[in-house]
Amino acid sequence: MLGTFTVSRPTELGQALDLIGEESLAYWGGTELFLAMKMQLLMPGNLVDLKGIPQLREIRMSGDELVIGAGTTHDEIATDPGVRGAAGLLSSVTSRVGNSRVRAQGTIGGNLCFAEPRSDLATVLLALDAMVQLQSSSGERRLSITEFLLGPYWTAREPEELLVAVCVPIPAATGVYLKFQFTERPSVAVTAVVSDGGQPCRLAIGAVADVPALHTAESWDEFDAASIAAGIEPVPDLTGSVTYKRHLTEVLVKKAIAAVRAGERDG
Amino acid sequence: MSDQRTQVGVPVLRRDLYAKVTGAATYTVDVSPPGTLHAKVVRSSHAHARITRIERDAALATPGVVGIVVAEDLKDLFPRFGHIVPDHCILAIGKVRYYGEPVALVVAESLFAAEDAAAAVEVHYEELDAVMTAGDALADGAPLVHEEFYRAATDESFAAMAAAPTEDGDGGARDNVAHTVELEWGDVDAAFADAHLVVENERVHYPMLYAYAMEPYNAVADFRDGRLHVTSTAQHPFMVRTDLARIFDLPLSRVRVEVPYLGGGYGSKSYTKVEPLAAIGSWATGRPVKLVLDVEESIYTTRADSADVTVRSAFDAEGRIIAREFDVVLDSGAYADNSPLVLAKTVNRCFGPYRVPNLRARGRSVYTNTSPASSYRGFGAPQGSLPGELNIEKAAAELGLDSFEIRRRNLVRPGEEILRGKRGIDADLLGDLEMLANSLQSHAREDSAIGIGFTASDAGAFPVSTAQIRLQVDGSVLVLSGSTEMGQGSESALAQIAAEELGVPLDAVSVAQSDTGTGPYERTTGASRTTTLAGLALQRACTEAKQKVVAMAAEVFGLPEADIASVPGGVQVADRPRVPFGEVISRWFGAAAGEVTGVGLVRREGVTQKMPPFWEVGVVGVDVEVDPDTGAVKVRQLATVADVGFAINPRAVEGQDLGAATQGLGGALFEELIYDGPQLVNPNMVEYRVPRMQDLAERIDTMIAERGDGVGPYGAKGAGEGTLNPMAAAVAGAVAKAIGRWPTRVPLTPERVWRLMNDLPEEDGE
Ligand SMILES: Cc1cc2nc3c(=O)[nH]c(=O)nc-3n(C[C@H](O)[C@H](O)[C@H](O)COP(=O)(O)OP(=O)(O)OC[C@H]3O[C@@H](n4cnc5c(N)ncnc54)[C@H](O)[C@@H]3O)c2cc1C
Repeated sequence: MLGTFTVSRPTELGQALDLIGEESLAYWGGTELFLAMKMQLLMPGNLVDLKGIPQLREIRMSGDELVIGAGTTHDEIATDPGVRGAAGLLSSVTSRVGNSRVRAQGTIGGNLCFAEPRSDLATVLLALDAMVQLQSSSGERRLSITEFLLGPYWTAREPEELLVAVCVPIPAATGVYLKFQFTERPSVAVTAVVSDGGQPCRLAIGAVADVPALHTAESWDEFDAASIAAGIEPVPDLTGSVTYKRHLTEVLVKKAIAAVRAGERDG
Repeated sequence: MSDQRTQVGVPVLRRDLYAKVTGAATYTVDVSPPGTLHAKVVRSSHAHARITRIERDAALATPGVVGIVVAEDLKDLFPRFGHIVPDHCILAIGKVRYYGEPVALVVAESLFAAEDAAAAVEVHYEELDAVMTAGDALADGAPLVHEEFYRAATDESFAAMAAAPTEDGDGGARDNVAHTVELEWGDVDAAFADAHLVVENERVHYPMLYAYAMEPYNAVADFRDGRLHVTSTAQHPFMVRTDLARIFDLPLSRVRVEVPYLGGGYGSKSYTKVEPLAAIGSWATGRPVKLVLDVEESIYTTRADSADVTVRSAFDAEGRIIAREFDVVLDSGAYADNSPLVLAKTVNRCFGPYRVPNLRARGRSVYTNTSPASSYRGFGAPQGSLPGELNIEKAAAELGLDSFEIRRRNLVRPGEEILRGKRGIDADLLGDLEMLANSLQSHAREDSAIGIGFTASDAGAFPVSTAQIRLQVDGSVLVLSGSTEMGQGSESALAQIAAEELGVPLDAVSVAQSDTGTGPYERTTGASRTTTLAGLALQRACTEAKQKVVAMAAEVFGLPEADIASVPGGVQVADRPRVPFGEVISRWFGAAAGEVTGVGLVRREGVTQKMPPFWEVGVVGVDVEVDPDTGAVKVRQLATVADVGFAINPRAVEGQDLGAATQGLGGALFEELIYDGPQLVNPNMVEYRVPRMQDLAERIDTMIAERGDGVGPYGAKGAGEGTLNPMAAAVAGAVAKAIGRWPTRVPLTPERVWRLMNDLPEEDGE
């Protein structure tokens, strides 16, 4: 059962930044927030409903970046023609998140800020070399996914900061995203992408350990699925033991690399 | 005759369709009499502990709290319930026996106040050693879940099942065995000694399951002026009434239990659940009290018995069964509820619809410090058929026969007895088998792994059923039944039967169900009995009403009754025009007023003398594919045969079978309540994995076999459970073929299958 709390509904970003803090949490889809509140893991006195701030719900191109407002839902990202054109992989991944209710209501910002370790978005955004944009009433900063995600349910975001946007460099890397998902959350997710800048071969492994891991190389030959799998620390749960999740990781790494080498591209 | 039927045997739309789809249907949660208070249950935080003190002053001081009830307050009442063994405490007395057991009931002006106050009730415990598995409970010197003995309920029909818990031979000390059942015939030992082949399976485990009705357990109670009125989510309102009457020492006529639409039951809403809690809340405060559980609380309220079963069978050189032997242990949790009956049914159903000349089956239902188990769709048949049918598959493999052939050689023929002295089978299982084989084999691929399962359930429960029909002066008709519409479509089926019997349009018939205060008695809505037994009672009610109208017409026309024919919709005299029912009624009463009531009764007599009233068979087959990399099982084909005698509403029969098969697929591949220490680790909708749309087979063939061989209306027999029963067995058999290993437990989750195919231990050894 939910405790007692108030809700504020700012219509401008500035108002929202004044409100947000330790006891006053951002509220988008509420798909994670209300579960956590019902379990009394979070007991905020106030919720800041951000859905009335149009600027946080925009998707736009800005120079060599695709900028996705933190309040964009999975469905909106999946069906946006701009995203599909510029970052097809992201579009494909968001279309496969959880179930239709979660996709209709859950946002990219909520997904990243909650930092549930089995997030698909964290994994794919890591592979795509995305940055998150944080803002507070005293300033702005940009962090990489690795800098942002510190552990399960733990990010570098300060209580008075809002995640305002996610920026994906374009042209975005392309590739495949494979996951083994037997229940509501994936057990293991692996994405293999080729990118124009930096090391061309990028492999991200998520959902299986505390935070997603990135491996990069000049050539796909440099990846050894068995040793990559041996190097992760799976979190055992009802969807798999440590041994099984390591095995799945190895299987998916092999499949993802084979697929991307064969020219397959999601989205 | 059958081609003259117009209202039955045709698919009709469910009567509750629009109301349910648009959200207009009324459920218990929608019922709030004026002045309703809200209740919240304070639950045990231990699996097994003595209650040393309950402090309620702080909670009572919470604004809005009206009262807090604990066991001590119930001294003047009968503080327990249980239709077989009244062992179930309304509120824990002296000690708690499972995590989540109700300890106190807080009643307040609002749900929020009740919840705040519930958190402020301080219960002090002294922890006791707990037994969390049947194995622990059966160990020497195990702590006792129940120290005291309970006198079995006096009902004749349960008495046979309800022997008091067993007593040790040596001096009256007792153990955790709640109930035992044994079934034996022939000379089993001699048969095994003579056998051509003996096939034995390792112990096979069937998991604890939650029936997952979308609607949790809810009740609203209003106790005033020595009368108790309860609205609740009960499948069997008349059974609940009996428990409530005993608690408050009230005559049955002063207890009214009403059931609006039920949001699914699947057996889990059989018998008494939260009604006593709401009732004591109202009794204590003098105001109506509403209790609404959440999903987690519902999961802790009732689950299916888990089972561990060993089986061995003896065969002759032709692959015929000559003997079977079973040992069944059910983990029944903290209270007996309906588990004694589930145990009896597991034993009756585990050996299958085969000719078994020599049989020994022994079952024990064991108390543990886990949530109480009770009825679940299929009633022991899923638990028993998994080991039983896997054993048949293993024998087929060893005898070099295919899955169909070994069954051709062993299935009982129409009329043959399965249980000694009971009704012979009223189904043609060989006919069903050929339908199944045709369907699956004609769509098989080279790498198909086909598993099949057969079950026969002694269904229908105890045949006590009554129905009323009220012919109205305007020609419309009211059907009254005590049977609950729980999503299975009985409202439509009963209307169809009445329309057919009376020869009136379907639209002219209204159905009112499940109100012990105003409607007729129905023993239960379970064991797939409604169409057969309530249907039979309704047919008889229609006959009586028609006879009454003939007698009235004779009086009105001044003719002998013999000159008056009962015709569809009314009566007829020679070749004069038909006189509708309404006109006869109005002429007899001499006003546009009055009505005619017909009553129909069913008991153990005539066609329903022999037990069981009918057999419900389960005939299913699946074709599966196993991912060699992950162990994930994909179902390519699902074929089912509904051997229902006559399908009153074929669309409903198909829906029931697909639903039952899908629920069975849940237990086969996904579902399992898992205890880790005193608590469940997955008592919620996200982690208790039920089947989803994508899990359904690529090809689904729900066939109906109609041979008019049931005792119900038009030769009908019940449906609804059959197809669930052999699902786990069929899936496990198919997986065994796909991977070349014999599963010993379900659900066959991807990891379990992967470990099995790679000969790895069941868990990481850390
Ligand atoms: C049943 C289920 C299945 C799921 N399956 C998957 C899956 O398969 N793959 C996957 O990747 N995810 C999955 N998810 C997670 C889902 O993607 C997230 O729940 C959703 O995106 C969260 O967004 P929201 O808007 O609802 O966040 P909310 O619940 O509103 O917020 C979540 C948390 O983040 C904070 N927050 C939100 N936005 C901001 C912001 N802009 N700035 C600062 N703080 C913020 C909130 O204060 C809160 O603490 C699943 C979730 C559920 C419930």
